Amino acid sequence: MRARKTVKLRLYVADNAPNSARAIANLAAICKEHLQFTFKLEIIDVLKSPLRALADGILVTPHLAKLSPSPAAKIVGNLSDRSGVLLALGIKP
Amino acid sequence: MSVARALRLVTGGPERRAIEAGEIDAVIDSATGNVFLLPQAKRALSSAGGEAANGLLAALPRQDHQRLLAELELVPLAYGEVMYQPGERIRHVHFPNDAIVSLLAVVEGKALAVGLVGREGMVGIPLALGAELALVRAVVQGTGSALRMKAASFHEALEHCAPLRREVQRYAYTKLVEARQTAVCNRFHGVEERLGRWLLMTHDRVRADRLHVTHEFLADMLGVRRAGVTQAAGDLQRRRLIDYRRGDVRILDRKGLEAAACGCYRIVKVLAG
Repeated sequence: MRARKTVKLRLYVADNAPNSARAIANLAAICKEHLQFTFKLEIIDVLKSPLRALADGILVTPHLAKLSPSPAAKIVGNLSDRSGVLLALGIKP
Repeated sequence: MSVARALRLVTGGPERRAIEAGEIDAVIDSATGNVFLLPQAKRALSSAGGEAANGLLAALPRQDHQRLLAELELVPLAYGEVMYQPGERIRHVHFPNDAIVSLLAVVEGKALAVGLVGREGMVGIPLALGAELALVRAVVQGTGSALRMKAASFHEALEHCAPLRREVQRYAYTKLVEARQTAVCNRFHGVEERLGRWLLMTHDRVRADRLHVTHEFLADMLGVRRAGVTQAAGDLQRRRLIDYRRGDVRILDRKGLEAAACGCYRIVKVLAG
């Protein structure tokens, strides 16, 4: 079953460094395919907003946080492991 | 920061594993809030004031990247230089560093921009798709440098380097998305909205708020007369979104310009990643 509730996501990146660029591309593909228009994504560049990252307890980038619906989840890395990302987001592939 | 030092800052299991797998760009020191870039990310972003490395190549695993460097030659690209015309054989692929290249479709002597290439991509996609001849005119829009590779070497590299093949395929897809959206955009959107979109696309590919583009160039890109560009640029200027004089455009209000541009800018950005 596909998620019908709006999925709120936050992706922490370091400018367009290779893994960050890759994470954005991978996430965009996943959202397009599996979430259609039922997602909200905020992208935070830790180089521009380091304090925000610190306040949110982010240790590395790329870092994807699923904020809602619960359970909350986090995934670190460039999101190339699509099935792992889908599992963490609670979407059945 | 070295990988070993980064590992010392991180205690969590998933974070450590991701660092070891080479999937991490930056580490944040939770004691100080300082952000440290890992070597590969630092190299890719080390563009301040100088040359920005091509992102498509930087996304490759280090070993593949280094192997390819042997086949790559650094070349300068100057504003206005025509790299190839429709029907010409493509002899090299180019991976721009800080140069920007416009791709223009040409019909009956008239040209219209159908794509823009900067440090995120490459010029010469037909070679990756089995074609040898150019279908568009490639013109340098922003002076800078690029790494180029001979067509034969590129074919060989595609055959032997799966990560390169993947990156090039992914990039070819983004160009397809861009071209499709541009086709719709050119038919349905006004000059001002389209000008806004092209300025944003250009702005994304440079690391400054100043762009050098003449009226003539913009007229070609948008497929309108120069008077049309004058009017559209004047409108954006009156709204204090840009400052435009003698071919120098300064982006004053990026958010405002995004609102003034057509939605095609955002659609391509989201769909093409």
